[in-house]
Amino acid sequence: MTGPLTPIGTSLKRTDGPSKIRGLEKYAADYYPANFLWADVKRSDHPHALIKGIDLSHVRGLPGVLAVLTHEDIKGANRIGVPEMDQPVLADQKVCYKGDPVVLVLAENKAVMQEALHKIEIDYEVLPAVFDPEDALAEGAPVLHENRSGKNLLIGGAIEHGNGMEAFQVCDAIVEAEFDLPYQEHAYLETEAGIACVDDEGVLEITASTQTPWRDRNELAYALGLPVDSIRVIAPYLGGGFGGKDGITVQGLLGLAALHSNGRPVKMWTSREESFLASTKRHPGRVHYRVGCKEDGTLHAVSCRIVLDTGAYASLGGPVLALAMEHAAGAYRIPHALVEGFCVYTNNPVSGAFRGFGAPQVLAGLEQIIDMLADKIRMDRLEFRLKNVVSRGDETGCGVWMSNSTGIIPCLEKVKEHPFWVQQEEWVNQAGPFKQRGVGIAAGLQGTGYGPMVADIANAKIELLSDGHFRIYSGVADMGQGNNPTNVQIAGEVLGQAADYFELLQPDTACSLPSGSSSASRTTYTFGNALKTAATILKERILTRACNMGLGIYAEDLLLSSGKVFHLTSGREIPLANIAASMSPEERISSYAYTAPVAKHPDSAGSAIRAAGFPHRVFAFACHLARVEIDALTGEVEVCDYLAVTDAGRVLNPQIYEQQVQGGAVQGMGYALWEDFRVENGEVLTRNLASYILPTSMDVPDILSLPVETVEETGPFGMKGLGEIVINLPLPAIANGVAWALGRHIFTSPLTAERILLTMEKRQAE
Amino acid sequence: MNSIFLPYKMGDLWEVKQKDPEAIILAGGTGLLVFLREKGLHPHTIVGLENLWELKQIEMQNGEIRIGAMVTHQQLLESPVIQAQLPGLHQAVTVLGYPPIRHMGTIGGNICTASPAGDTLPSLYVLNAVAELRTPTASRLLPIQDLIKGPGQNVLGRDEILYQIRIPVPSPSAVSFYFKVGQRKALAISVCSLASMLQVAEDEQTIVDCRFAWGSVGPTIMRFPGLEKNLIGEKLSLNKLREFGQTAASMVSPITDIRGSAEYRRMLVSNLPSKMLQTL
Repeated sequence: MTGPLTPIGTSLKRTDGPSKIRGLEKYAADYYPANFLWADVKRSDHPHALIKGIDLSHVRGLPGVLAVLTHEDIKGANRIGVPEMDQPVLADQKVCYKGDPVVLVLAENKAVMQEALHKIEIDYEVLPAVFDPEDALAEGAPVLHENRSGKNLLIGGAIEHGNGMEAFQVCDAIVEAEFDLPYQEHAYLETEAGIACVDDEGVLEITASTQTPWRDRNELAYALGLPVDSIRVIAPYLGGGFGGKDGITVQGLLGLAALHSNGRPVKMWTSREESFLASTKRHPGRVHYRVGCKEDGTLHAVSCRIVLDTGAYASLGGPVLALAMEHAAGAYRIPHALVEGFCVYTNNPVSGAFRGFGAPQVLAGLEQIIDMLADKIRMDRLEFRLKNVVSRGDETGCGVWMSNSTGIIPCLEKVKEHPFWVQQEEWVNQAGPFKQRGVGIAAGLQGTGYGPMVADIANAKIELLSDGHFRIYSGVADMGQGNNPTNVQIAGEVLGQAADYFELLQPDTACSLPSGSSSASRTTYTFGNALKTAATILKERILTRACNMGLGIYAEDLLLSSGKVFHLTSGREIPLANIAASMSPEERISSYAYTAPVAKHPDSAGSAIRAAGFPHRVFAFACHLARVEIDALTGEVEVCDYLAVTDAGRVLNPQIYEQQVQGGAVQGMGYALWEDFRVENGEVLTRNLASYILPTSMDVPDILSLPVETVEETGPFGMKGLGEIVINLPLPAIANGVAWALGRHIFTSPLTAERILLTMEKRQAE
Repeated sequence: MNSIFLPYKMGDLWEVKQKDPEAIILAGGTGLLVFLREKGLHPHTIVGLENLWELKQIEMQNGEIRIGAMVTHQQLLESPVIQAQLPGLHQAVTVLGYPPIRHMGTIGGNICTASPAGDTLPSLYVLNAVAELRTPTASRLLPIQDLIKGPGQNVLGRDEILYQIRIPVPSPSAVSFYFKVGQRKALAISVCSLASMLQVAEDEQTIVDCRFAWGSVGPTIMRFPGLEKNLIGEKLSLNKLREFGQTAASMVSPITDIRGSAEYRRMLVSNLPSKMLQTL
């Protein structure tokens, strides 16, 4: 049975849907190999302490305990992390946060595991700890990593554009405010999980829930002291990632366990509590803004100071800071800017990559400041933005050149003509008793890809199988966002095949090709480009071979369609299986390496920030609108309606596009209103999903998604990355709506009911 | 090895309880299972009451509504009797947990767990609900507030279970409310809740009877009969309700926890009575 063609621009049903719905698709957490052992770790009870001794005498020899391992059992460098390799697989000299893994146990079952973990005794010498990043930068603060010259400063730097601070002297209006942004926990459905074993040939094989199979392999080789080619990493579909699996989670521990399991497979799967404790979070931060404009509403100067808390280890803190700084002037033409950033070690849990990657923190502040400035000069908030946003060819305030498709103006215009905006006053005035309403908007951008300092390359591989079907070897993990079905659509478009002529192989370092991470809004953009060309090459080979087989003289007379090649003038056809039979196995495989374009211009940032990924070249844009209603008796905020207008280039699959917008907007609403991951003195207070409040379907409105379809000339079929832009704007859009309703801005988020009611009470008292 | 019993007859239940007096009663499991996991407990015997048909009935008898201890929140939600006669309690179960919890959890479990945040409790307090407790040989009736001693504590004896709840049918002219402030709209533990019942005279203004019970702001559900009396005979107005709320707020000593501060809870105690005017 051949299904219909699903051209680019139509909603090919998710090819991963049926197997996921039936529970047949195996996630990393679903593997229970025969005769497996559980692996789990004893974690630090202290935020900062020297390890004086580890007493394992009560544990070794416990029935059911197969191995008890410490850092002494690690042959390699015992350090993981990218770009800074500063995080131990198992702590050696000291522990740096409450949750640092110290002892790894392999046990037959979970009951024995609990007993063993309980009986491990670790002798600590407690060290003074530091929990506030500003304190950590102060002279005399406890130092986490003694070998670093910058003490607790992981990375710092500035972006200077125009005259920097001097430009404020000629501004007619200036607004200043400081914003406190909270942690955000990824809270993916599938907590960190995987299995590992060493096969007969000595290859360490790890199947893990990871966004970065290729990077993991390199890191594991270094940390565990193995040659890269003796490690194989397989990345099945993930039960969510959002950046939390952008790098090693359990893979180091799994690898170490498998090297000491007497050949038995090992499995690790964190509980929700352990996941909350030990996984990375969105960086909490303090963002201080000062923005000035001329009386006609022309933005003139911006200064921004960003302090991010990266916790005990670097993780991706450096690149997150660089991206935050790059996005600190938003999508505005501001001739003068000074952006300073500091990413700082503390004895808190580790912060790292999270959808948006630094941009949500700065845009939360900037987009509220922009509203305040518009109010100050009595200009319409949307017109103020329209007057100042970039067009193609402009530079942002941070000196980032908009060299590619730039659709922020059409995004703003779509909001401007929407009834939610047109009828804002009427709607606000219709609030019922004890209700206060407001309408807020926010606009912004998000870079695609890694930036100039890391090779942003994908290697696609596609094979014509002997039965005439095609196999796509995906090089980038699908964490639920739907890049795999989109791969089928892209290859299907090039090869003229219906979706059921494809099979998809998930990333596996043994048979697919290195393609980087599933992150940075690059997954479909970069891999899709590689796949499109790989498929084009394969198509030419097939048509040429069909000519060789006597179907025609010129390839252009032939049509490749589902399962066959067709000769247009004679009506003759050859099944693809026959063509495959005449090709050598090598010929039937096509691969192509695609390198994403980077911006070499400009030089406004210091070297440390450039090295961390500044600047980007291809950007997505968006403008969001939120209609909010506050209950004046309880402080509860209801988002009544939500509009997300997005320029992520051409829409390849409207359904997957919509899913990304809905999911991102809801996750952004969580960041705005409810998700408050609380850490006090290094201790996690929100230990699980009962106290860490994620929005439910009851808490969010239907989200209206309107695409602005620019054509990104460098993207496959005109698309550009969509995954992150959506999460950047719910917080400022909702905060601006809340500010309208309350008559004042609240600079600390999330905007919980409690925070709002206390603010209202204070206002009454004034 | 753990044993789990699911008796079909009361007699079998008593037998299990007699053999193992430490046996833990499982009414629905939405609280117990979380508790056991959190504390790492592995009780020797668990007795689930889900097959005891007589505990799962809702009936009207002699001007009383009788609700079996094993009636699930979902049953309450769907019951025409509850919808028509006890709209406040009905409202409470619409905002309790989410569908899976409402299908598992029971009213008896909610009562015996004795959490000050229990969503059915404030309504049961204002309804003057009475609990019927049974042992193998006897039964006794206790007003709901006498059954619950403090957070997580009830007065059930070792071989005693909560059998049913009896609620006098409220006056048809009474209006009842349940307001819950949680951290979100579903799957939320209340930060502060208020059940109230109000009866006004034919002038639609003068208060004839009123009862108020707050949840999550003290060791158990808080009711102030003295304050309620002061409102009777007064005209219903925003000012009166505000004043009443403020006085109540001065009489509670809520705690600060991960869900909310004492300060916020006190403000809610003060504000929630006014919410009646949002809905009236």
